[in-house]
Amino acid sequence: MSNQKKNDNGSQNTNSVETKVADTKKGGKNATGSTFVVTASGSTLEYAAPVKRDKKFTWKEVKRQKSLIFISALVFIYGCIFYYWPLTGWGMAFVDYKPTAGILGSKWIGLEKFEFLFTNPLNKFWPTMRNTFCMGLLNLVTTTVMAVLFAILLNEIKSNIIKKPIQTISYLPHFLSWIIVTGILHDSLSSTGIVNDLLMKMGAIDSPINAFAEPNYFWGIVAFANCWKETGWNAIIYLAAITSIDPCLYEAASIDGAGRLQKIRYITLPGIRPTFMILLLINVGNVLNAGFEVQYLLGNGLVKSVSQTIDIFVLDWGISQNDFSLGSAAGIFKSVISIVLIFIANTIAKKTGDERLF
Amino acid sequence: MDFGSKIGTVAIMLRKFEEVNMKKRLLAMFLVLAMGASVLAGCSKTEEKPADSSATTTQAPADETKPADETKPADDAKPADDAKPADDATPVDTTPVDAPDGIDTEEVTEFTFYITMPGSEINSDNDIAEMIAEKWGVKVKETWLTGQTASEATGTMIASGKYTDFIDSDEMNMLVEANALIALDDYIDQYPEFRDTWFTKAEWDKFRQPDGHIYWINPFGNNYGTPRPTTHNDEAFWMQVRVLEWAGYPQIQTLDDYFSVIDSYLEANPTMADGTPNIGYTILCEDWRYFCIENAGQFLAGYPNDGSVIVEKDTMTIADYNTSEDTKLYLQKLNEEYKKGTVDPESFTQTYDEYIAKLTTGRVLGMCDQWWDFAYTVEPQYKIQTCGDVTLEEYGCNYVPFGLTTHAGDVNRWHTYGDTVNQASGIAITKDCQDPDKAFWFIVQCAMDSELHDLRFWGVKGVDYEVDADGMYYRTDEMRLNVADTTYKAAHLCDYSYFPQWSGTHWDGKNAMSPSEQASEFMSGMAEPLKKCFEAYGVGSYPEMIGSVVEENGPWFPMYSYSNNFTTATPGGMAWKLMGDVKHEWLPKVVMAADFEAGYAEYMDVYNTCNPQDFIAEMQAILDTYK
Repeated sequence: MSNQKKNDNGSQNTNSVETKVADTKKGGKNATGSTFVVTASGSTLEYAAPVKRDKKFTWKEVKRQKSLIFISALVFIYGCIFYYWPLTGWGMAFVDYKPTAGILGSKWIGLEKFEFLFTNPLNKFWPTMRNTFCMGLLNLVTTTVMAVLFAILLNEIKSNIIKKPIQTISYLPHFLSWIIVTGILHDSLSSTGIVNDLLMKMGAIDSPINAFAEPNYFWGIVAFANCWKETGWNAIIYLAAITSIDPCLYEAASIDGAGRLQKIRYITLPGIRPTFMILLLINVGNVLNAGFEVQYLLGNGLVKSVSQTIDIFVLDWGISQNDFSLGSAAGIFKSVISIVLIFIANTIAKKTGDERLF
Repeated sequence: MDFGSKIGTVAIMLRKFEEVNMKKRLLAMFLVLAMGASVLAGCSKTEEKPADSSATTTQAPADETKPADETKPADDAKPADDAKPADDATPVDTTPVDAPDGIDTEEVTEFTFYITMPGSEINSDNDIAEMIAEKWGVKVKETWLTGQTASEATGTMIASGKYTDFIDSDEMNMLVEANALIALDDYIDQYPEFRDTWFTKAEWDKFRQPDGHIYWINPFGNNYGTPRPTTHNDEAFWMQVRVLEWAGYPQIQTLDDYFSVIDSYLEANPTMADGTPNIGYTILCEDWRYFCIENAGQFLAGYPNDGSVIVEKDTMTIADYNTSEDTKLYLQKLNEEYKKGTVDPESFTQTYDEYIAKLTTGRVLGMCDQWWDFAYTVEPQYKIQTCGDVTLEEYGCNYVPFGLTTHAGDVNRWHTYGDTVNQASGIAITKDCQDPDKAFWFIVQCAMDSELHDLRFWGVKGVDYEVDADGMYYRTDEMRLNVADTTYKAAHLCDYSYFPQWSGTHWDGKNAMSPSEQASEFMSGMAEPLKKCFEAYGVGSYPEMIGSVVEENGPWFPMYSYSNNFTTATPGGMAWKLMGDVKHEWLPKVVMAADFEAGYAEYMDVYNTCNPQDFIAEMQAILDTYK
């Protein structure tokens, strides 16, 4: 560890020296607000007390940073156009939106759409919320656990000739579109499919199980599909985290007589904990994005009560019924819940002293 | 495991994928919080894909096409750059036709056309499409519905604000509301001959929207000259002729008759000759196609296909068939057969593609469906697919319709005679159309130019049909095989099936407008077992087979053309949507219920929470306008 720190300091110094030189040449103020003296030998650094940061806006400053400003302006404009401008569409939720009249020309109805959403049991909005949340949570837990498990197991394989192909094969499903995956699932789980064939041959069941006619299986099938598709892909980032763990730790542990399982328990797992926490936080915000294609493509009339997610709800009640207002209202509600979830998760992370987003 | 069909399935999946992607983009407009959302990256439009064998079907006669009868000399001095498909036996005169001022037929305009119905795309270099392009200066790129409902597709298009040149949707009122369509009144008046031939004034008026304009033209169901119905292009209980032959062609009038024949056949013949297990009865329940389970009740009670309600003509009142005794008895019968194992256990989870694939293997003995929903895809395959060393049509897999009623001997109204003017939808020109004048001119040509009509439905003379000494069109066996082949169809035939088309008798007074209605073609195209079946029942065509009472429908018919346009904006529309949701879930549940009575009672409880009376009241108000 100490080694690394030294390197860090080294590179920082180099940068600062360059800045200083540039500043001196131009005779300008030190932009970083701190100054230091380079001794004759050039190897010893002595920090001076930081001077008060000059916050005055000057054209000179602007000119000096013009490329930076230009780049950040692009990002800013991009953000406004693609993230904030679409938010004006939220206005649809509060008017009786007619495409020809536009948001401003349509009749103001206030919270009527929200009221319909929350209080009318016929539209099945709350069951839809439940489905979305439960499937999202189930997906989050299973995919995360599987990815960590898979990364650790893969890491334990020492031969690259075996490890690399396994890794490549495992993340290929990520690149398949859902329509292919659901097609395969539909085929193999149908009553004449391979799964039923196998179970029948093994004598586990007497008659084929029609998995898609049974509401109790649906969430499980979706979670399985997500695992199958994403485990390899999600494991990549954990593998990278494991690789960055200092090998000295493992060597030291071996010398102390730790076995494989102990090394996993005391070195690997704590080593990937920060990565794990950050990913978990990000994914908690995504829980309500439980999916659209899988449920849309695998669902049918019999399981609709458990398969409908918010996104399908929006399509069904918003777009299909030409009621964009209701669709927007459902979308807003979903976003609000997502933000709340992130805040909660972030607060918990702060409390437990782990990595956090903000 | 038939590998070919697997590949077909994958191709369909790919198409669906693109559609889904499109949908996602739109959802994103709503679910704007973009945190970590999946990348809604490029969603390229579906480019032409070779039509695959298990692809879906079009609603219209998916037959063929061909050029004019008379002057078809090869002496034409064509445009110099004549790079026509040169393999045709009879070269087609492709000199651009004359057109009114302002319409340039020398220049080829490529129009786009979105149809919210599933269909097979033709190849981009399709022979006949090229001929039409050279002669009429119009090429149409048709895009069909894949993997979503018509309302989703239409809503998506409206949300995007970008339209194809032509559009035909089941949700026309949404398009009108969004100002997406061009009013056609002035255009129609520019072509008085077309105006007076295609519809009567009363018929045109049915298309007028509340603002007084006409925005679309229904392309189907119009007879020129004497009608020549040969097919039953409607719903029926279908049964394979091999079952009937085995049973000795019994009289089948009720559900009990129907299922007892299927049951006994299935017991005696659990598999086909090649060992494929037979399936007694399958039900398609996917999405909007769930009419296969949903609306048999109205027919069994002896009413015509008003689709969403029953109309009592005597009292001019609307009745709900969902709660009728006939529907209950029908569901009870299905429940019974389900428990016996006659009803395919996969019925309620299969997709349309799986259903079609299943029918194509010839294993399914019977089902209730609309002819157009399966026949144009499935029946041609029976000429090609084999069971042992005979083709499936020789094996007796073709379907014949039965017009069942709840009580034996009742009149049935499964078949719709005469013109069905469905004013709910049709071909429309959008405000984004690049050249509305030419677009409308082409619509008129489709209806009025006999040469174009022949090219679309009969094909190329000498290639797809021959003309005998009496001027009658006919096909050789080889031609019939060709036109049954999906690859050939995609590469060669182009019927632009959602442009205006005629049924009935040709302009020449002798032939039929399309091969499927040509009596000689119909008879010689039939396989031996099917012929024997028709003979045994003493009938000459499908409508005679089903034996519906010949009767004129009321001017309101079909009522579904009104309910299709309902949205949740009205209480009735809201009820209609909720009723649909409930039926999607509960009809399969009731059929699968261990205790039918209990299941049915529970279904009725849930059904009544939807306030169906609101829907009935709104339909009644519409019917009252015809009093």
